[in-house]
Amino acid sequence: MTAAGLASAQPGGGADAPGSAEQAGRLRLDGLTKVFRTRGADPVVAVDKVTLDVAPGEFITLLGPSGCGKTTTLRIVAGLEEATGGHVRLDGQPIDALPPQRRPMAMVFQSYALFPHLTVEQNIAYGLRVQRRGKEETETAIRIALTSMNLVGLENRSPHELSGGQQQRVALARALVVQPKVLLFDEPLSNLDAKLRGAMRAEIRRIQRRLGITSLYVTHDQDEAMTMSDRIVVMNKGRIEQVATPADIYFRPATVFVADFIGRANFIEVVPEQVDEGGATVTALGRTMTVPAHPDVRPNAGAYLMVRPETLSLAPAPMGGVGTVLRATFHGHSVDYEVETNAGTLAVTVPGPDPRTLLDEGANVSVAIDPARAYVLTKS
Amino acid sequence: MTASLTAAGPDAPAGPPGARRPRRRRELSVLLAVVACAVLVLVGSVFPIGAVLSAALSGEALPRYAEFFTSPVDLRILANTLVLGLLVGVAGTAIGFLFAFVQTRLDVPGKRVLHVMALVPVISPPFAVATATIVLFGRRGLVTHGLLGVEYDIYGLDGLVFVLSLSLFPVAYLGLLGMMRGLDPAMEEAAMTMGASRWRVFRTVMLPLLAPGIAAPFLLLFVEAIADLANPLVLGGDYTVLAGRAYLAVTGEYDTTSAAVYSLILLVPSLGVFLAQRYWLSRKVRTTITGKPSGSVHLITGWVRWPIYGLAVFVALIIAMLYGTVLAGGVTKVFGVDYTLTFDHLREVVLGVGREALADTTTLAMIATPVAGIFGMLIAWLVVRHLGRLGGWLDFAGTLGVAVPGTVLGIGYLLAYRPDRYIGDVLVLPALVGGGAVAGGAAAIVLAYIVRSVPAGLRTGTAALSQVHRSLEEASTNLGAGPMRTFRTITLPLIRPALLTGLSYSFARCMTSISTIILLVTPGTQIITSQILSAAGTGRYGVAFAYCTVLTVIVLAGFGVIRLLVGRTATLNRIAEGRQR
Repeated sequence: MTAAGLASAQPGGGADAPGSAEQAGRLRLDGLTKVFRTRGADPVVAVDKVTLDVAPGEFITLLGPSGCGKTTTLRIVAGLEEATGGHVRLDGQPIDALPPQRRPMAMVFQSYALFPHLTVEQNIAYGLRVQRRGKEETETAIRIALTSMNLVGLENRSPHELSGGQQQRVALARALVVQPKVLLFDEPLSNLDAKLRGAMRAEIRRIQRRLGITSLYVTHDQDEAMTMSDRIVVMNKGRIEQVATPADIYFRPATVFVADFIGRANFIEVVPEQVDEGGATVTALGRTMTVPAHPDVRPNAGAYLMVRPETLSLAPAPMGGVGTVLRATFHGHSVDYEVETNAGTLAVTVPGPDPRTLLDEGANVSVAIDPARAYVLTKS
Repeated sequence: MTASLTAAGPDAPAGPPGARRPRRRRELSVLLAVVACAVLVLVGSVFPIGAVLSAALSGEALPRYAEFFTSPVDLRILANTLVLGLLVGVAGTAIGFLFAFVQTRLDVPGKRVLHVMALVPVISPPFAVATATIVLFGRRGLVTHGLLGVEYDIYGLDGLVFVLSLSLFPVAYLGLLGMMRGLDPAMEEAAMTMGASRWRVFRTVMLPLLAPGIAAPFLLLFVEAIADLANPLVLGGDYTVLAGRAYLAVTGEYDTTSAAVYSLILLVPSLGVFLAQRYWLSRKVRTTITGKPSGSVHLITGWVRWPIYGLAVFVALIIAMLYGTVLAGGVTKVFGVDYTLTFDHLREVVLGVGREALADTTTLAMIATPVAGIFGMLIAWLVVRHLGRLGGWLDFAGTLGVAVPGTVLGIGYLLAYRPDRYIGDVLVLPALVGGGAVAGGAAAIVLAYIVRSVPAGLRTGTAALSQVHRSLEEASTNLGAGPMRTFRTITLPLIRPALLTGLSYSFARCMTSISTIILLVTPGTQIITSQILSAAGTGRYGVAFAYCTVLTVIVLAGFGVIRLLVGRTATLNRIAEGRQR
């Protein structure tokens, strides 16, 4: 009932409702560039020609290490930062000239930025009062927001009297009641403990889906990005490395950086013999196989075979084999092995280990690659 | 002292079984430090204030209250005092807010210059602004009479509000500057993303968040204004205030009972505000909630910034003009009339009559400054680290030195230390104040200097200590250092910037203090500030200006020496920065 209640407060919010064209919220970043200049220091290019198309209702995550420009990009979209070059378009209209208060967007801040001198209810009402909505409309919207965000009974509390999770929900409610076309999130969960974070993730995603609000979400937590997003934008040094669905990011990383940043990966140097639609034919660990490949991969040019540790399988091979176990680390739910092979040291994860077949350090093993779950990508 | 840890070790298990477990004693050294601090505050502030209270509440004084509250003259004085406090509080806070706002929120050039201009009044000697104001804006003022051709009577409420607001606003400015810088910019950004205009953000977010920050300097300025004695003496005209009335009762009428009564009435609002701030306002301080501050401040770039900026520049120009007058007035024959360059005034101050005063004041301040600085840090350390409930009292007593108006403290010294004290027939404490006082009253003056400057060090020390994690000191004691050794080798170096601030402030305060000291000077001990008063009072403005200039130079030189001695490396800052990385 929770999110449904909030949705009913948004006439024209659902895809089937009339007037959904007005609610659309197609966001387009066009060659967005931001250069920070400080006197006496070299200019820093924080955002470098970022181009991105966000479909109405889509949930997009900007993911990357700190300093990669993801937050700056988000702040440019919000209008809190002025771009050095490029455009932000909303439903086809450039909005670069609009100050933040004129953009139909709402932001959830990392620090929540709840007004400490206002109660929960006044915080949520702030945006509505600014927009001079009618008294009745305001009250109804607040009531629905409080109910759907599970904040009933806390209306008159001060923000500092709330737990972290409650503050987070107030911040979300405050952003949602103004019915923005675009929701912006700046690492909103980084101040919560792990358990609460999981719950809030699901909550945010559910409400966002139900309301169909275009969302741009900044995080450095890959788990958050994987579980919440329709598509992930991996950024590095101000540039976009790849835009793709979580599954594609994981199994078809466009660059070594992406493969390395998301999850763990082994890279085996290979020279593809043949490349066609079906993939690249490569030889690794004494076996020739056809593996899906990045479009840039060319035959007879150095490339990497990317293999995730948990897609490798090990078998004891007392009579030789291709590798030797260097180190075994037992986690309970899995065992991590480091296996020395002629293709370098490989990380292998065996999930749900069988106590009878645990391998000792120094054991000779054979290593099997599953071609369907591996990927060939270019060096650099 | 330092061996106590190892000494206690073997003793403990040696006791007979079943015997009461020996309680761990407080360290002797800490105990001694507590006693030293307690003696200082008892002798320096508690006893004198007690003397005022007992005189003001004696049987002889009680009928005076009925007189006071029925006499229109006295009621007028009370009203005058409160009105002055209120106006200065409002005006000074407003100027401070203006400067802080320009500094943190406007995109304008020359902000650094404005910052320096706003801090100039901090080290300015008393009477400097008042005297310059008379010369510029008085009846024969250079601006009022010379330029505008009016005979403006600056003496009275208008002049006092003008001078006191300009002299005291830096306190408000610094407080508000810190508050505005500390505001999480995300707060304002959040309001902006929800559609609020700049003006609305200012009105609904910034102002309410700053409200306690505005109340605090207002109260502070209020108290300083009603306690001020120096300016009413030269600029009050027939606008009499309580501090001036009490001073007159002592020095003109030799009526200490009346003086005590006026003091008590002045004490009520002063201490009231002080207590209110300490126990009520401090709790209401609003802090930003969870998470690190993020985002960036959005400077105002529209046309609105220019009128605001213009106002601040106008105030800065007035300040520049006033201090320019002080500087120029010291080296011209009669400023405003005869601009011939002359060094007569300076010669009189440095080589002539003023020489003794310069030497005496500087010597006494040099004695008082390190004592006050160390005691400030020591009390802060004891209060924060070692004492529980008792610490609250020590902190309170340590702060009394500034919470009580200087005039009241001075009267307290007169009441407490002018008579020789006997127990039986034995002289236990000879007179410290008055004609036949020990060392020409120097002892009492040094004591007054110390008591009036300890609170500044105490405040900065407490703030700095709360940044130094306890574990650093625990590591030191764990390695075998006693508490005093830990204080000397670990704590003090870590809070060195606070010590530096505390010492500098103490020195400036000693050199420029007047309200307490003016009641304690004797023919045997000359003090610069009282020399300035007599020069200004007799219309020898040139000499007064020369004194002011020389005094400022000495204070600045003192800052340099303190910096050199204490060292400029801001250890604590480095630690804080290191943590952020």
